[in-house]
Amino acid sequence: MASLAARRAKDNAVKAVSTGFAVFALFLLAWILWTLLARGLPALSLSVFTHVTAPPGETGGLANAIVGSLIQVGIAMLIGAPIGIFAGTFLAENGKGTRVASAARFVNDILLSAPSILVGLFIYTLLVVPLGGFSGWAGALALAILVIPVVVRTTEDMLNLVPVGLREAAFALGAPQWKVVMFVTWRAARAGIVTGLLLSIARAAGETAPLLFTSLGNNAWSLDLTKPMASLPVAIYQYAGSPFDDWVALAWAGALLITVGVLVLNVASRLVLARGH
Amino acid sequence: MTSAVDPTLSIATSVAAKADAPPAPVKLKVENLQFYYGQSHALKSINFEIPEKRVTAMIGPSGCGKSTLLRVFNRMYDLYPGQRAEGQVLFDGVNIIGRELDSTVVRSRIGMVFQKPTPFPMSIYDNIAFGVRLHERLNKAQMDERVEWCLRKAAIWDETKDRLHTSALGMSGGQQQRLCIARTIAVRPEVILLDEPTSALDPISTSKIEDLIDELKQDFTIVIVTHNMQQAARCADITSFFYLGELIEVAPSDVIFTNPKEIKTRDYITGRFG
Repeated sequence: MASLAARRAKDNAVKAVSTGFAVFALFLLAWILWTLLARGLPALSLSVFTHVTAPPGETGGLANAIVGSLIQVGIAMLIGAPIGIFAGTFLAENGKGTRVASAARFVNDILLSAPSILVGLFIYTLLVVPLGGFSGWAGALALAILVIPVVVRTTEDMLNLVPVGLREAAFALGAPQWKVVMFVTWRAARAGIVTGLLLSIARAAGETAPLLFTSLGNNAWSLDLTKPMASLPVAIYQYAGSPFDDWVALAWAGALLITVGVLVLNVASRLVLARGH
Repeated sequence: MTSAVDPTLSIATSVAAKADAPPAPVKLKVENLQFYYGQSHALKSINFEIPEKRVTAMIGPSGCGKSTLLRVFNRMYDLYPGQRAEGQVLFDGVNIIGRELDSTVVRSRIGMVFQKPTPFPMSIYDNIAFGVRLHERLNKAQMDERVEWCLRKAAIWDETKDRLHTSALGMSGGQQQRLCIARTIAVRPEVILLDEPTSALDPISTSKIEDLIDELKQDFTIVIVTHNMQQAARCADITSFFYLGELIEVAPSDVIFTNPKEIKTRDYITGRFG
C-alpha cells in the first residue's frame, strides 16, 4: 500500500492536471469572446441596425441580414416547433414500444447529428432547382428541418421525466388521452419543452451552411420570401472573407450580435428551467 | 403498546357491528376473474363481492395481486398493452371489463387515489375543476360551489380556502393527498379506490385520512389496499386477504383479525411472513 505522502502527491497531480485543462478550455473560450468583443464592439453602431449592406466605402449596416435572420428563423420555428412537439409527444405518450416509434426515434437521432450542409443540399434539390431560384422560403424550410430533431428529442425526454403516477391520476378521473396530454403532461413538462424550443432557436440562428444553398443572401433590403434573402450567418461568411476593412468590421459586428443572441437564449432557457422546478 | 392495540380492536369491532345491522347491497361483484401481465398469471379465479357504502380492505404481502385487482376495478390496466383481464366485474350488474363500456365512463364512476400524492401542476382550484369539466358543464358559481363542497368533504377546506388559486405543488404531502381525495370526490363517483393512500404520509396526516375514510363511507363505497394491518382493522368493515394471486379469505374485519379461518391468513396477520 502506498504511503500517505505518495497518495497525496498523486491526488495533487491529478488535481493539477484537471484544473490545468479546465483553465485552458476556459482560456480558449475567453480568447474567442475577447477577440469578438475587441473587433465587434468598435464596429457596432446605430447604422448597423438602420442601414442595409452598402458598397465598400459607404455607410453600411446589417439591417437586411438581421431582419432576414429573424424572418427565416421565425418561420422555421413556426413550422418546426409544432411538428417537433407533436412528434416528441407521439414518441413519449402514444407510440411507446411500437415499431413506428422506434423507427422514428432512430431516424430522428440520425437527423440530429446530420451535417447541416446536407440539409441545405436537400432543400436545394427539392425546392431551389425545381422552382428556379433561391428564396427565403427555402432557407426557412432548411432551418425548420434542423429545428425539428432538436425539438423532438427534448420534448420526448422532458415528457419521459413526467411521473407515470401523474398520468394515471388524470386517467383515473376519466380523462381521455388527449386531455391528459394537453392539460397534465404538457403542463408538467412545460419548462423543459420551452427550453428545447429556445435552444433550437439558438441552433437555427447560428447556421450558415443550410442557408448558402437555399436563401443565398441578399445585399438589398427584401422582405419577399420568394426571393433570395439575407441572413446574419451568410452575411458574416461573405464579409469576413472580403478584402474591404469596413465589410470585415461589419462581419465582426454580426458575429457579436449572433453570439449575444445565442447567449441570451441560453440564459433565458436556464431561467425557464430553474423556474419550472 | 397494549393500550394502543386495544382501542384499535374495539373500534374495528364496533364498526363491524354497525356493518352487520342491515345487509348492504353488492356494489361490485367479481366473478371468476383472471388477470395476466403478459405471460404471468397475476390473479387466479377471483370471486369477490364488495358491499355498497362500506369500507372493504385488501391486504396481503407485496405481489399478492391486491393492487392489481384494484386497478382492474377502474380499468387502469387498459393503459398498458400486454395486461389483460378475463371474467367479469359486475358494477351494479353491468360488466365493466368488457369492451362495450368506455373506460372513461367506468373511471368517472369508480374513482381512484394513489399511493403517492399526485397533484397536477396547476392551482388547487383547477386541480378539482379539471376532473369536473371532463364530465359536466358548470357555470362559475356552480363550479365554486362544487370545489368548496368536495374540499369540505375531504376535510381540507379550512386550509385551502384562502389560497385556492395558488399552485397545489406548494402544499404538504398530507394536504396534497387530501386534495387528491377531494379531486376524486368532485367527479361524484360511486366507488372510491384507495391504493395505499397513507403509505407516503406522516402519522398525523395518516390519521386525518383514516378519519376521512370513515366519513366518506356514508356516501361512497370504498375499497382500500393497505400494507398496514392496523389501518385495515381501524378503517375497514370487511377485510380480504390475498396471497400469490388468490383470494384466501374474506370476513368482517374483527373476525379476520381475531379469529381467521385460514392458516395462511393467521400466519400473515401474526407476522410470520410477508
